[in-house]
Amino acid sequence: MMTKTKTETLQLNVHKVTLRTKLSRNRTLILMCLPAIVFFIIFNYIPMPGAYIAFTDFNYNKGIFGSRFVGFKNFEFLFNSGKLWQLTRNTILYNLAFIFLGNALQIIIALMLNSILSKSFRKVSQTLLFLPYFISAVLVGFMVYALFNYDYGFINGLLKNMGKEPISFYSKPGVWPVIIIVANLWQSTGYGSIVYFAALCGIDQSLIEAARIDGANGAQVIRYILLPSLKSTAIILILFSLGGIMKGNFGLFYNIVGTANANLQPMTDIIELYVYRTLINQFNFPYSTAAGLYQSIFGFIIVNIANAVVRKIDPEYALF
Amino acid sequence: MGLAAAMLLPLAACGGGSTSTTTKAADNGETAATTAGDSATAGTETAGNTTAANVDTSKFVTITMLVLGNKPSNGRMEAALAAENEIYKEKINAELQLQYIEWTDWQTNYQLTLASGDGSVDLIGTATDWLYAWQMVQKGAFLPLDATMLQTYAPTTYEEVGEDWDLCTKDGSIWFIPEDQYTQWTNHGIYYRGDWATEAGLDTITNFDQLGQYFQYIVDNKEGVIPWDVSGANNTGGLLGGYLGSNLEITTILGVDPAIFTYNNDDPYTVTSPYMDGDTLVEAAKLFKQWSEAGYWREDVLNYTGDSRDQMYAGKSGADQHHTQTYVTTTRPIMDEKQPGSDLQFFYWGEENNNVTRDLKTHGAMAVSASSPNPERALMLYDILRNDETAYRLHNYGIEGTDYIVTDDNKLDHPEGYDASTDALDTNFWYGRMDAYELDQASWYEGRSELFEELDSKAHDYALTKFAFDPTNVQTEIAALTEVYNQYIPSLAYGKVDDPEASVTEFRNALKSAGYETVLAEVQKQLDELKASEG
Repeated sequence: MMTKTKTETLQLNVHKVTLRTKLSRNRTLILMCLPAIVFFIIFNYIPMPGAYIAFTDFNYNKGIFGSRFVGFKNFEFLFNSGKLWQLTRNTILYNLAFIFLGNALQIIIALMLNSILSKSFRKVSQTLLFLPYFISAVLVGFMVYALFNYDYGFINGLLKNMGKEPISFYSKPGVWPVIIIVANLWQSTGYGSIVYFAALCGIDQSLIEAARIDGANGAQVIRYILLPSLKSTAIILILFSLGGIMKGNFGLFYNIVGTANANLQPMTDIIELYVYRTLINQFNFPYSTAAGLYQSIFGFIIVNIANAVVRKIDPEYALF
Repeated sequence: MGLAAAMLLPLAACGGGSTSTTTKAADNGETAATTAGDSATAGTETAGNTTAANVDTSKFVTITMLVLGNKPSNGRMEAALAAENEIYKEKINAELQLQYIEWTDWQTNYQLTLASGDGSVDLIGTATDWLYAWQMVQKGAFLPLDATMLQTYAPTTYEEVGEDWDLCTKDGSIWFIPEDQYTQWTNHGIYYRGDWATEAGLDTITNFDQLGQYFQYIVDNKEGVIPWDVSGANNTGGLLGGYLGSNLEITTILGVDPAIFTYNNDDPYTVTSPYMDGDTLVEAAKLFKQWSEAGYWREDVLNYTGDSRDQMYAGKSGADQHHTQTYVTTTRPIMDEKQPGSDLQFFYWGEENNNVTRDLKTHGAMAVSASSPNPERALMLYDILRNDETAYRLHNYGIEGTDYIVTDDNKLDHPEGYDASTDALDTNFWYGRMDAYELDQASWYEGRSELFEELDSKAHDYALTKFAFDPTNVQTEIAALTEVYNQYIPSLAYGKVDDPEASVTEFRNALKSAGYETVLAEVQKQLDELKASEG
């Protein structure tokens, strides 16, 4: 340990001037990053060795590293279950819908906010759009149940009042992707639109004025000035979200569809729910860790592919 | 004698040490005897008739006991524990504190606490049927005990349990202490309202036909009441297990996941499964589909998460499903108060075909944590808690006069102004209760002893108490079977399938491809071994 620090200091001395100046020049920025760095170290890096559980016959007393190493045996279960394809497909499709529909809606809303002239009305609209983001997924689950349940649900109440047959939503898997996507967009769009709105506010007003003088109408201003200026923001945001494409929104899915209703599973089961069920129903730490590890590695590969493609098209926009 | 000393030494020496030393040393007695040469060993040199009296208790220790339940916030538990701790302090220089696993996500939190193995817990409340005791043994959560240790540190308990130690022994070690001196009935069934059953023209309900008539009567006559407003998300098996047990002479084999393996009551050493064989599952699935369509529970039962018991108390549900003990101590007394005249009755599974299994003596048990820094003091403390009437009552009933009073007819009651919903002691000690020190509660249902007698006349013992299934060879198959089980059972149990017969076939095929035959053969193999070992 000592020697290591020494060599590090030596290396530091070589670049002494530049690094020091860099550090002192950016010390406020570094300080601002610190909480995030500490957060990621504690919650993302320190637990990483725990993934080793996936390769062991985990014994409570022997601990993670004392348990017997069993290689890829724990992954067999995952591949034998025959569910892997369904889980991966659902997780990715839902995320694609969330990402592309979400960003499109966010841009539209940002443009709409941008065209509101009354400042107070704009603030009120922003706040109202923002609110769903702060509602916990548990409540969203109850709201969905209150809307869609068969016996007392709002929608079925309306149908019954109009003399129509109520619909049993909870036994029709096909409607759930729509419900889940709408619930997700309802929750996240207002919040996500803020970034785009900020980008719009940063556009040089003289550009817009010049366009107006040249006779551009509202639609043309949007088409030729506002949208192109959002391009880089959109690409970066979409790339960031692609990084999480294998990560499902557990809270939302768990609270909306639960784990008991197998009828809905073909359309609603995502990797997170599966990991949760394996843990809750069987307390099998190695198996659920194996599923989680599969998810991470697959996700890692997808991010790299996406990034490589972007770099090929335009290196400017690549993340790394 | 040499062996006895070897067993004791590592224990006495390991205060603060790791448990792997304990077990290793116990396997290899001679080395332990030479290495553990500190003052603590002095007292145990005379191992032959060692008693707790000459165990070194000079260092004050805190023993943490893991219990299930919500931690009370009214201060009464702490007050009672403080009084109780004076006894421990004086006798063994230790104090007791409780660590609660709250009911929210208790299965996960219980497992996670044990999995952490950080030595923060000494005594672990467990059970072979509902708290995975044998699985925990498998996963290395418990410290292996043996007769010498128990004789030394928990002599009274050791004497009491006697033959029942057999129930807790595997691979030559005793793994937990059974709650074998306590009578209770935790056989399941369904509670129904006697007043509505009478209106419906039913004297009593003793089979599923009558239960169906009762539910139908509620649908037809009780506006706004759901016959059984159950949450399928929480009670995933519904009435399925009850139906199978009431129509077949079978008993579920405990400790094998998923719980689909059974034995026929006249031949306990042959594994069968109504989930795979016979027509009863199909009949059940058909019946529950009918019931579902008739509206005996919510259409969206699988996604509903309400509390059917509270609904029943409020008069909105005609039934609730749990066991005898809850009926006698909780639901019947509360219904008498909240819905006077409701005359809540209990239809227990197996009532019609006399297929009732007596409670396991390990329905509650106490284990010592494998990572406990003070296992010897933990055992000593447990011995006092279980057998010292003053400590026992302080722990289970609280402080006399404040928490409870004893009535003239020697029943437990509470002082004026006591409100069970806010003033309860909630120490939740279900891991070593003693009939000898228990008092009947004044609030309990009066028909309790009659019901107990009736159950006792019908019940038989669980035949495989010593069967501790080792899943090592079939772990993958078990995981796959459990997944299949959890996928199909809720839909079958609540009739949420289009064609019950086809769904059962599909379920059975899924079980087969998940490795049903392999697990069945493994269970049979281990049953054969057990039979052979029992001679």
